[in-house]
Amino acid sequence: MTEAATISEAVSRPAHVTDAVFYDFDLFHDPGLVADPHQRIIDLVENAPPVFWTPRNGGHWMLIGHKANFEAARDFEAFSNEMVPHEQLQAILAQMPPDAPRIPMAYPINLDPPLHGKYRVPLQGVFSPRTINAIKDSIRELAGEIIDQVVPRGQCEFMAEIAEPLPVKVFLNMLGMPLDKLPEYRALVKAHLSEIQPDPSKAMQRLQQVAAIMRDTLIERRDNPQDDIISMLWQVEIDGRPTTLEDLENYGVLLFIAGLDTVMQGMGHGVRRLAEDAALQEELRANPDLISDATEEILRRYTFTVPPRRVARDMEFQGVEMKEGERAMLFLPAADLDPVEYPEPDRLDIRREGKAHIAFNAGPHRCLGSHLARVELNVLYEELLARVPSFRLDAARPPRFHGGHVIGVEELNLVWES
Amino acid sequence: MKVRIDKSACVGNARCWAVSEELFPLDDDGYIQVEEFDVPPGMEELARRGARACPERVIEIVEDDA
Ligand code: HEM
Ligand code: SF4
Repeated sequence: MTEAATISEAVSRPAHVTDAVFYDFDLFHDPGLVADPHQRIIDLVENAPPVFWTPRNGGHWMLIGHKANFEAARDFEAFSNEMVPHEQLQAILAQMPPDAPRIPMAYPINLDPPLHGKYRVPLQGVFSPRTINAIKDSIRELAGEIIDQVVPRGQCEFMAEIAEPLPVKVFLNMLGMPLDKLPEYRALVKAHLSEIQPDPSKAMQRLQQVAAIMRDTLIERRDNPQDDIISMLWQVEIDGRPTTLEDLENYGVLLFIAGLDTVMQGMGHGVRRLAEDAALQEELRANPDLISDATEEILRRYTFTVPPRRVARDMEFQGVEMKEGERAMLFLPAADLDPVEYPEPDRLDIRREGKAHIAFNAGPHRCLGSHLARVELNVLYEELLARVPSFRLDAARPPRFHGGHVIGVEELNLVWES
Repeated sequence: MKVRIDKSACVGNARCWAVSEELFPLDDDGYIQVEEFDVPPGMEELARRGARACPERVIEIVEDDA
């Protein structure tokens, strides 16, 4: 297939979109983005309008500047997470035949406040820094085991051999799912990943499969609680009522969507940088105490998720006219490279002082799993640097990337002296 | 020096707590527990760093008048 063929068709430009805010960019297939994502993102920061409309993928807004992203993320009345308004969706679901398989809902990520909070608060304690710190050692052990398998070989494909199995194993352990579910679960994660631009009906089926794999364990833990997240979720209340099997399935699906691919891609971007930056590796090997600062700065420099929003009313946003029902992407990777907030944004400076990044977004939907994500990234960098000698990219097999809502690394071949 | 926090805008990501558990205690759900307090002498820099770390920018430092 030629490159031109993979770019989506342009739709025609609505009348309210002026020349000044028109910019042609394909979030999924832009050739520059796919060749070297953050290089292209820096180019957008420098050359594209801070808020623009692109005719690709059905036509949508892109928020590029930090200010635009930060404000939109917090203004949930103007920028809704309900891609279909909640009441409308309930009405559609009510039309389904009663014997149709239930469709799990990833609450609260697709709800607006105040309903959003009712489903978020119960999770907040479960993913609090305290809970996560308690499992740090077990994550370290898993990371060590996985890395040690490749060390003697002198090379690995980092994404498939380390970045994918580690978060999935951590996840199943935390939930308390039996490890014999691992192959099935990994297959679902793979299918989920292979579709950057999912076909909605297939995506729905996959979520039903995720719920189905978990169902036995969910029921078992309801009757025999243990020290795991599923058991904890049976004990929380949603808006004053006990949780049901449907709630537990919804939460399981939410965590599957939000917590696996993301951590994996975070590792991919970070390790790619380390592989290209021998000096950084050396500095961190000599001073492991700096690794947690490096984790933060890598998250800023290589922010990679792009949450979508629905414009909830006709409005003027930062001088730009938007219409109800249009879609807007919070292009967080560009926000964290905005020179207004982060001087010399392309420099990876692990001693950078100043403003916090928004790799986990801001506002009511700010990542619930950020503590877990940080611990996983931190531990991975620590164990990789401790166990694998100076590593670099395999010149014969360069890394490959993809665009989309989670801008990611397809393939990352590393080599080292063994 | 004083710290003033817009508690209602806290989304509970504990970046302040990671800088100083003593200055920025969290409740059981992980949200900030305090709203306004005087910074004990010697902890001014920690308070400033905690404020800078907050991604929501809801922690305000009120410097003493010189
Ligand atoms: C480096 C890894 C990660 C990144 C960059 C990341 C990023 C994000 C972002 C940007 C959002 C906001 C979405 C929006 O505004 O619509 C979000 C939400 C969320 N994340 Fe993460 N995430 C990561 C890891 C995780 C992990 C490990 C978990 C699970 C345990 C998780 C669970 C969630 C949940 C449940 C939400 C929805 C919160 C809500 O709607 O209130 N994330 N994440
Ligand atoms: S860093 Fe800010 S948002 Fe996070 S817990 Fe502290 S006050 Fe709340």
